[in-house]
Amino acid sequence: MKIANALAAALLAASAAAGAVEPGTAAPAFRLPTFDSAQPVALADFRGKVVFVDFWASWCSPCRQSLPLYDKLRENYPAADFAILAIGLDEDTAEAKAFLAEHPVKYTTLQNPQGDVAKAFDLKGMPSSYLIDRSGIVRARHVGFEAKDIAALKKEIDGLVANAAP
Amino acid sequence: MVWSPTLRRSLGLLLVAAVLAGCASAPVQPWERGRLARRDMRWDPDPLKAAIDSHTYFSKEGTTGAIGAAGGGCGCN
Repeated sequence: MKIANALAAALLAASAAAGAVEPGTAAPAFRLPTFDSAQPVALADFRGKVVFVDFWASWCSPCRQSLPLYDKLRENYPAADFAILAIGLDEDTAEAKAFLAEHPVKYTTLQNPQGDVAKAFDLKGMPSSYLIDRSGIVRARHVGFEAKDIAALKKEIDGLVANAAP
Repeated sequence: MVWSPTLRRSLGLLLVAAVLAGCASAPVQPWERGRLARRDMRWDPDPLKAAIDSHTYFSKEGTTGAIGAAGGGCGCN
């Protein structure tokens, strides 16, 4: 009986540790190299801005559509208010680079071939994106992508950008 | 060596634990599906070849069905 209790406690502890990043929780900190330079970029560098973190991969077919649309979306906001961090999860960085050459974007693209940041965010699907407010709190989470999602996303960003920095 | 009941029970438990551990492979996470998404990992990597194979199959068998297409099985295609 004692063993059963200990097992149950261990299982509970394990399930509590694997908490997903939900709206209202602080975004996990990360520091990753970009695709263009060796200089790493941290989420903390963007504190005070609304940040859209997008997880993509070259093998994720909706990403072919989403990356260029996010690039257009970004043009609506001044750089002081809004930034996009796109985290590429290809195990083979060369494939991600080829994808970016085919679908070039102007925002920051980071590489995470080990997938540890994806694990920290506990992604539920691909692509996944998180909208983070100026104080580093996740305000929205999106799994999957369709072109029609852009309008709703723009509304969410507008709302967060309108709030002044704390 | 004497196979005492306790030893036998312990060995039995160990065996069950080892068998169960074999089922405990971690599921593939969404961001780890790069290899599974490759074209050569599909059941039918080439859709045109799959369509031709399927046509050959139901023409030879004189029936359709079980491969997703409707038909009366007259063999007249």
